[in-house]
Amino acid sequence: MKTSKYILYSVLCTFVLFLASCEPRGLQQEDVFISEDKVAELTADGQVYNLNDFLDQFMTEEGSFHSDTCPYRDRSYDATHGIYLYSVDTLPVNGPGIYIRGRITTDDYAGNFYKSMVIQQIVGGQQQNLRISVDLGSSAGMYQIGQEILIRCNGLAVGRYANQPQLCVPSYNNNIYAMNASQKVGWCPGRIQGSVFRGATRMIGTPDISKLQYDELTLTELYTQIKKQPTANATDMDAVRKMDGRLVRLKDVHFNGKYDDNGTLKNCDTTNPDTIGGGGANVFAPSTQNIGYPQSRLLQDQGSSTIMCSNSEYAKFAYFYLPGADKTGIAQCSNFEGTVTGILGWYLDKAETLKNSALTGYEWSVTPRGIPGIGAVNDIVMYYQGDESAPWVPKEYDPKDR
Amino acid sequence: MFVLSIGITALAQTSLKGRVIDETTQTPVVGAKVTLANQNISTTTNAAGEFSLLYLDATDEEVVIEADGYLAALELINLKADQANKMEDVALQQDIVVQAQDEILLNLTEEEMTDDEGRSQSQASSSSASTDVFNSNTSFAWSTARYRNRGYQSNAENYYIEGLNFRSAERGQFNYSAMGGLNDASRYKEVLNPIEATNFTFGGLGQSTNYLMGASRYAQGWKVGVAGTNRNYKARVNATYSSGVLPNGWAFAAQLAYRFSPYIDNKGIIGEGIKYYSLGYFFTAERIWTDKRLKLITFGAPTERGQNAAVTQEVYDLTGSNNYNPYWGYQNGKVRNSRIVKSYDPTVIAAFEYNIDEQQKMKVAAGYHYSWYSNSALNFYNAPDPRPDYYRNLPSFMWDGQIANPNNETSAQQLFDDAGNHYPWGLFIGEDMKGNSLGSGFEDPMNPGAWVGPSVNKEQYMNLVNLWRNRDNKTTQIDWENIYASNYANNVNDPNASARYILERRHNDIQEANASFNYVNTQFEHLKMTLGVEGKFSQGIHYKTIDDLLGGNQWLDVDAFADRDIKELASNSGFTQADIANVRKNEIAGDYNQIVKADGRRFGYDYRINMGNLKAWFQNEWTFNEVDLYYALAFNYSSMQRTTNMLNGRAWYLTKVAEERAIGDGSMRYLYYGHNSYDAIKAAEANGTLKAGTTYTGDAHHFLDPAFKLGVNYKINGRNHLKLNAIAETRAPYARDAYISQRVHDRVVSNIYTHDQAKNLTEFYAASEKVASADLTYEFNYPIVRGRVTGFFTQSWNGTELNGYYDDEARTFVNQALTGIDKRYMGIEAAAAVKLGTYFTLTGVASVGDYRYTSDARAIQSAENGMPMTQDQSTKALVFETEDKVLLKGLKLSTGPQVNASLKLSFFHPKMWFADITVSYHDWNYLSVAPSRRMQGLYTGTRIDGTAVNGWFGDENTNAIQTTDGQLLRWDFDEAGNVVYQNAELDANGVPVLKYPFNVMTMQENIAATNPLNRFLIDASVGKLLYLPNRQSLSINLSVTNLTNNTHFKTGGYQQARLPRAVRQGELDYQNSIITANAWKYPSKYYYAWGVNFFLSVTYKF
Repeated sequence: MKTSKYILYSVLCTFVLFLASCEPRGLQQEDVFISEDKVAELTADGQVYNLNDFLDQFMTEEGSFHSDTCPYRDRSYDATHGIYLYSVDTLPVNGPGIYIRGRITTDDYAGNFYKSMVIQQIVGGQQQNLRISVDLGSSAGMYQIGQEILIRCNGLAVGRYANQPQLCVPSYNNNIYAMNASQKVGWCPGRIQGSVFRGATRMIGTPDISKLQYDELTLTELYTQIKKQPTANATDMDAVRKMDGRLVRLKDVHFNGKYDDNGTLKNCDTTNPDTIGGGGANVFAPSTQNIGYPQSRLLQDQGSSTIMCSNSEYAKFAYFYLPGADKTGIAQCSNFEGTVTGILGWYLDKAETLKNSALTGYEWSVTPRGIPGIGAVNDIVMYYQGDESAPWVPKEYDPKDR
Repeated sequence: MFVLSIGITALAQTSLKGRVIDETTQTPVVGAKVTLANQNISTTTNAAGEFSLLYLDATDEEVVIEADGYLAALELINLKADQANKMEDVALQQDIVVQAQDEILLNLTEEEMTDDEGRSQSQASSSSASTDVFNSNTSFAWSTARYRNRGYQSNAENYYIEGLNFRSAERGQFNYSAMGGLNDASRYKEVLNPIEATNFTFGGLGQSTNYLMGASRYAQGWKVGVAGTNRNYKARVNATYSSGVLPNGWAFAAQLAYRFSPYIDNKGIIGEGIKYYSLGYFFTAERIWTDKRLKLITFGAPTERGQNAAVTQEVYDLTGSNNYNPYWGYQNGKVRNSRIVKSYDPTVIAAFEYNIDEQQKMKVAAGYHYSWYSNSALNFYNAPDPRPDYYRNLPSFMWDGQIANPNNETSAQQLFDDAGNHYPWGLFIGEDMKGNSLGSGFEDPMNPGAWVGPSVNKEQYMNLVNLWRNRDNKTTQIDWENIYASNYANNVNDPNASARYILERRHNDIQEANASFNYVNTQFEHLKMTLGVEGKFSQGIHYKTIDDLLGGNQWLDVDAFADRDIKELASNSGFTQADIANVRKNEIAGDYNQIVKADGRRFGYDYRINMGNLKAWFQNEWTFNEVDLYYALAFNYSSMQRTTNMLNGRAWYLTKVAEERAIGDGSMRYLYYGHNSYDAIKAAEANGTLKAGTTYTGDAHHFLDPAFKLGVNYKINGRNHLKLNAIAETRAPYARDAYISQRVHDRVVSNIYTHDQAKNLTEFYAASEKVASADLTYEFNYPIVRGRVTGFFTQSWNGTELNGYYDDEARTFVNQALTGIDKRYMGIEAAAAVKLGTYFTLTGVASVGDYRYTSDARAIQSAENGMPMTQDQSTKALVFETEDKVLLKGLKLSTGPQVNASLKLSFFHPKMWFADITVSYHDWNYLSVAPSRRMQGLYTGTRIDGTAVNGWFGDENTNAIQTTDGQLLRWDFDEAGNVVYQNAELDANGVPVLKYPFNVMTMQENIAATNPLNRFLIDASVGKLLYLPNRQSLSINLSVTNLTNNTHFKTGGYQQARLPRAVRQGELDYQNSIITANAWKYPSKYYYAWGVNFFLSVTYKF
């Protein structure tokens, strides 16, 4: 009897211990998204900078890696104006905390922002934006559009890549396999390691896309603003740089059927049966056979102003026809007009361009994001000849259409 | 042969009878081996502990009595001629050291067998055998080093329970988790050396073990124990009861064993981030009649335990611990491991033994076994890789592009170390491509005296290094917080979207029903005839479910790789968008937005492999005064057939491609569905009646494998024997290696034919591995010293193996099927135990082997997501499978150390004190080579199928192949069709030598510690058995492994399959891939032996 009792106790104890194998309780929203109080607590050891103030405070013109003994990229310096297109300044690991915060405006779910994101902060009713270069594939899966984040920047760097300011880390480019490799040698902004970035960031509240602010304007209005920023000296260039990453909604634009072929504008070609493999296909971003450079299609307003619509071949909508270009070819493109929402930017890796065109030419681009949804291109809203009852319906490329 | 033996007359002779009992409990010891040393005749004790030996020579004889868990006993007797001699009861003393070691070994083997990614540590040979000096002194002592008997993989070994085959028909392994912690239940077993004559099965190349679980074997009474250890589990409680044989003829025995460990978050200790809960139960009942007995057995061990992983040397160095585990992270401040194994193997067995008469016995057994085995893993879709040790998260990734390319730098710029160290200290560029000097870099704190190149930013590097060194939670562990945040944010932005992360559970269940029949006839003098038939039906059941949505709303069941790459199809295949949508699906009859929740519903894949096995064998053993002889023949029929409940989109797509191409006779179209299902699926498609959840049956594949073995034992005299054994057999491939991509489609490796397609016998055997093996043993047995020396030689041909890896050339996950693998195993085993006076025994054992590949292999690569592997650059035709030769010839097998030796000093005091200390040395332990890094095309630029390799070692931009001075590499074919590399420097295997550091990518590494002193391991144990009144006893045992805390001892590892590549931009209209000199981008991963660890147990018997 006594033995039986012991056995019973043993079985009960065993059962209790087995139950102890349960996993910790699941995390709730309040466990993973921090409140404003928590932000204050976390940043008590330093200062939270506005994005523009942050750039002004820590990003120098030359960057801390530029000196006579430290090689630098060949074509990045405009000696005439003392402007450097590339720079890196490191931020101290220790000392007072350096914090920035902003709401994510990009979404690489659509595959159009590779290992980069842009955050937006509204200061005095105006947008301030900053690119972040981070080595996380599909980063938008973790850092989602509309999500406000707090970043401790200590140990990171701030710099410019092709004149675009960004949060980054210093990286030495000696890629012998790159095009024009020898012209690209030197220190430049590199991607922040994924684990470092995860450790440096906290999520403030849940995402709220409605809080993103868009500058809704025409191309003419846009270029008016840009042209207000002379580019002849470093001081004025600073204001231009701060336009990078701006979230814009361009009104009254259409695709004019042209694309940029390494600096030359060409007409998209709908007659070539190998159209997808060629740069001139009538889709948003034909394949580069995985070489990986961005593809552009020209947007035009009712006048002659244009801007590049820049897309990646990895975008979910890369093989969607340009509005009106399915079956009927590019001739129909101009019939579809509307708005294009996206991130303002450019690519400028040659100082010569500064001397010649002062940033008013085809360097400017807008990059649609495609807010979540399979194959969505909802950043592009166009109508047939302005008739709102006849919207453009995105259509994926189909060889049977040939 | 069997029939011819009948007719030889039996004669009465000198005999010996006796009984063996447990000294403590005075109960019978069942299954003890009783050997007459001079005549080399042996038998085992029955349920009453009794034995009898017939037909003996009348002489002075030494009777050796050995039993598992007991110290061996030696009795002297004078056998009188033509009499029934009778011995007094022999009382055996318990060997508590061996009992504890058996328990440790059982646990060790169970833990290591788990890896569903095709990688697992080399399992230690688990069976210990007390009767063979070599086996009994290697199974435990060399288990830490993952020694494998004769270098064979575990699938060469045979595991039986009461005569029933319990080796997995799918993978060829024995599932130790079925017996988790049931050390008493699994104590009694027959272990037979490779090839030797067996009595429960035909046996084979490796050891054969038969667990004996009849209730009468277990010593009567209670046995309760507690144990503590610092291994993966921390404590164990255990209770065993045996009724002994009751007057009514029944005997009962039962065991309960509970092992546990809560989650451990003490970073750096053994078992960090691991929880462990296992409840083992065992019950056996046996009814004994005069001439027959019936055994009923059931056992199981529901277990839940966390796993850990092999990592790169860099990670071990950064964390400063060999116990770092990347699988866990903090959730709500508590540890959570992402890899949780759940297993439960309920087993029932019924066995009936019938002694027809004194000379004839038969045994029939039947069993059923269902194995629930699953492990969890994080899955993610359109979200960052959550692994903390992902290569891009490590400091070394900052070196990418900064490693000097020996071909593109002048000699003055080649700063690398010619000593061949595995870290690229000094390999960094000192000047950039324009000749700018970059300075001298900085000293790396992890490796004093070593310098990190100047092109790596010190501040950034140190920041990351310090995060790792300080074991920052967000950096070094899974970031559960961010994972949940990603899913919650996703819900807000799009409530209908797929979760970004889930914890999925991958089920690999198996159910099997088996039966066996065994008949032994000893009615004829000198001859023992054994006949056996075994049958087994097995079903491997594979599917996925969701364990936890981790805050997400749902998961959409699409294939992530197919989804990513599918756009390429639009441009290349001529498929319609509707076609392309199908390819993404895991069930083409399902909705594209197939939603899965954590409700147990299956997703991803859901298929079964049905396997049948039928073996018939017989064996004749002849015993004469000077010579014993045996021979045996077996026929083994096996079959496999895959059925699937989900019609995968990639199978559908590949079938469609095959149809459109109509290659050859068009039979390619049947490969992915099977002949029968093809018509049914096409008809359903045409009618629009494809229905999700329909079961489709693939082709059945059949194999018939004969085996023959023979052996002779020449008795030089009673104490010195010479034994020769040989075997020849063919072995059908296991299902695991036969199906190229069994989650996706039905296609098998080439050379496997369906039964109605094999045109001749050659084709029927084309896929089977052919094996021939022989060993020669000299055995000696004196009162002071006993032991043996064995030489063995084994050659196998035409082996099959399947690998899976991410291919950076194809940019997708690739399945690689290897066929035509030839291997050779040869070596010497030696063991001797010497008694040193009354208290001490000194035992020396050694094994020196050479286990290697003796041929190259043929490999076929195909993408798991069905996408093309490459494209013909001239015709632009898509190539869905590439074929090449893998240069394996001459490489060593990675089945544990090939040089092993140990010396053990044992102490036994009659007042029941036990102690021993063992010093072991292990060497020639080779890393598993990644075949993907040794493809012939990497040396020639062209595969054997004629396709071009995009980025190869001889490419003008890589130029990694070492040529004689001033020469260019050229290659051609010799008359036999082999590739001849002209002007290349060749290694011992005839493979072109690569310049350092490229050679690190292809060389085979000996993972033995650099310092010879670190190749030694020391184990020790001490125990005391206390006799208490009323036949009670208390035993205490402490076993300490790796006493000197050797943390430099690698036990295994593997080369990562990925090759570092970079894209050469701009010159061609396709992506031009270059192999880069950064050999450390995807370095090898290693397993280390645990540091000092102990097992302390206290057992009370009453």
